Amino acid sequence: MGLVDYMEAARLLNKYGINTIESKYVKSAAEAVKFAGNEQIVMKVLSEKALHKTKAGVVKLGLSGEKQITDAFNELYRKAAELKPYSIIVQKMAKPGNEIIIGGREDPQFGKIIMIGIGGIYVEAFKDVAIRICPIKRYDANEMLNQLKSKQIVTQNGKATEMVVNLLLKVDKLLTENSISELDLNPVIVRESDYSVVDIRMLK
Amino acid sequence: MKQTERTKDIDLTPLLNPKSVAVIGASRDPDKVGHVILQNYIDAGYSGKLFPVNNKTDTILGLRTYKSILDIKEKVDLAVIALPAPIVPQILEECGKAGVKSAVVVSGGFAEVGNVDLQNRIVEIAKKYRIAMLGPNCLGVMDPRTRIDTLFLPTYKLNRPKVGGVSFVSQSGAVGSTILDLISKEGFGLAKFISYGNAAYIDEVDILNYLMKDKDTKVIVMYIEGINRGKEFIEVAKKVTKIKPIIVIKAGATEMGAAAAHSHTAALAGNHEVYEAAFRQFGFSIAKDLSELLYYAKIFDSENLPEGNRVAIITNGGGTGVLTTDAVYESGLTLTQLSDETKNELKKYMPPIVNIRLPLDLAGDADKERFEKAVDIVSKDPNVDMLIVITLFQTPGADSSVAAALIHKKENMEKPMIVISPGGDYTQMQKIMMESGGLPVYDSPMAATKSLYELYRYAQYKKNA
Repeated sequence: MGLVDYMEAARLLNKYGINTIESKYVKSAAEAVKFAGNEQIVMKVLSEKALHKTKAGVVKLGLSGEKQITDAFNELYRKAAELKPYSIIVQKMAKPGNEIIIGGREDPQFGKIIMIGIGGIYVEAFKDVAIRICPIKRYDANEMLNQLKSKQIVTQNGKATEMVVNLLLKVDKLLTENSISELDLNPVIVRESDYSVVDIRMLK
Repeated sequence: MKQTERTKDIDLTPLLNPKSVAVIGASRDPDKVGHVILQNYIDAGYSGKLFPVNNKTDTILGLRTYKSILDIKEKVDLAVIALPAPIVPQILEECGKAGVKSAVVVSGGFAEVGNVDLQNRIVEIAKKYRIAMLGPNCLGVMDPRTRIDTLFLPTYKLNRPKVGGVSFVSQSGAVGSTILDLISKEGFGLAKFISYGNAAYIDEVDILNYLMKDKDTKVIVMYIEGINRGKEFIEVAKKVTKIKPIIVIKAGATEMGAAAAHSHTAALAGNHEVYEAAFRQFGFSIAKDLSELLYYAKIFDSENLPEGNRVAIITNGGGTGVLTTDAVYESGLTLTQLSDETKNELKKYMPPIVNIRLPLDLAGDADKERFEKAVDIVSKDPNVDMLIVITLFQTPGADSSVAAALIHKKENMEKPMIVISPGGDYTQMQKIMMESGGLPVYDSPMAATKSLYELYRYAQYKKNA
């Protein structure tokens, strides 16, 4: 079982019409500054040795301007030395919204399963998730949302509900058609009328 | 036990409706399993042919005893094997040669204690001779219609349920027999009982296939620890729940794989969570404990499916009406609004002390006539999908005539109607009467509303999924 390269995983998601946040690997601070332009960015170290990035302190949020970005790059570069092999990735900062998790895995008993729940740092604390066996139908996707205690956080209105239902159906198709053993889209930032997948963890 | 190669499903008919039964390991010693099984067949009034097999004796319980299954000249549909595990392969082989169609291997001492090879041997023999083999390490089957009863538990210790529409499938013999004993006290009856133990050959998939087609089975109740063939199970379960409800209780909330999980999803969607998800997705009702299992079985057995989730409450006690209203909302149902027509009708017949709104409090002196009229009018309201009648028998007006009137109203009603009657001995008497009249009675508001919700959820599943 191996971790799929982040950019490769993102391309596969895009192929299924799933929106991922604009991202790029960078080798230098200058590259990161160029990527940012005049927007805010996020900078992360990707390494098998730092699976939980927030805890490992290798995520820098809301960076802008040459100095801030360069300082962040230098700090992460230093920390990453003990996390080899690694890469440093920069992403456009997602517009604010609510964090959810969508995931999947291969179950030895029933085959592919899909999961949705409240995401980000709350995942482990609340464990409020809904699971189904793939493939799912639109009815199942709707029922998954209805089942969540945090439904009103996951989708704020009818339009967002339909959007998340469609997203679930796309992830279901992705899981069903590919040999993915585990998948975390965490967080997916959901807003009133759009969303973006901010972090991907795909194992094949 | 993984069963990867299965060419076709196994037919359970010879197990549950055998024309002739051999009890191999029948014994003269009343303490032996083989004795109890034979005794139970005789007690149950089994009308087919009964052949005790024991190589040391000539008669048991007045029946001629055979040295070997091969000595029986007639066809044997079912062999119940109650002998030590090591000799079971040889016995099963003889059954095969004798053309026995099905077998219940009661004996333990196979895969459950690590003797996997021994278990595999008997599966090979069953396959070779096409014997529909149940077990090993199981209680076997019971059918109060065909009076088949392979249980080795004496009838004075374990009451047998009456004839009815609930079929009960249990991997565990212990849980199985406990629930059977509990069902015997309930208003509903049993269609089939199947305890399948190690599921070495016949498993959940075969059993569901059989019960789906079984005309006597209206509701299926399952106690499951694990499933042999997950994907096949889903395929058959999907078909079954489109026809009849399945209530499941799943044991073993283990965290298999959680330690080795690489992702949040793997940690959150563990073995137990995925089982629950599968059950939910394919329309099962999930019972969290034995009492829920009985509540759900009761309501599915007697009630039609509701059109929606709007409930009307009629009560002769104000407080219990309010408690029930809370339980209605907590369970995911809603209290309905009565139509103007219904309100006008009620005003005509109810005394002035009765407030015409829900919950409809008929007051402490409500008698048979008041209950009857209220149920009659409210049940006809198109805004009402389900009816809860609270009868507190501690009140002066409520007695057996109320219970009888409710049973009578229930007979002609399409909509689900249930009763909440908490109370002591007098109430329990009324409860027995109402339940035998086909009216489910609950001791607490929450038990009642949760059961109604399951009924509603299943109705929605059938309509929309």
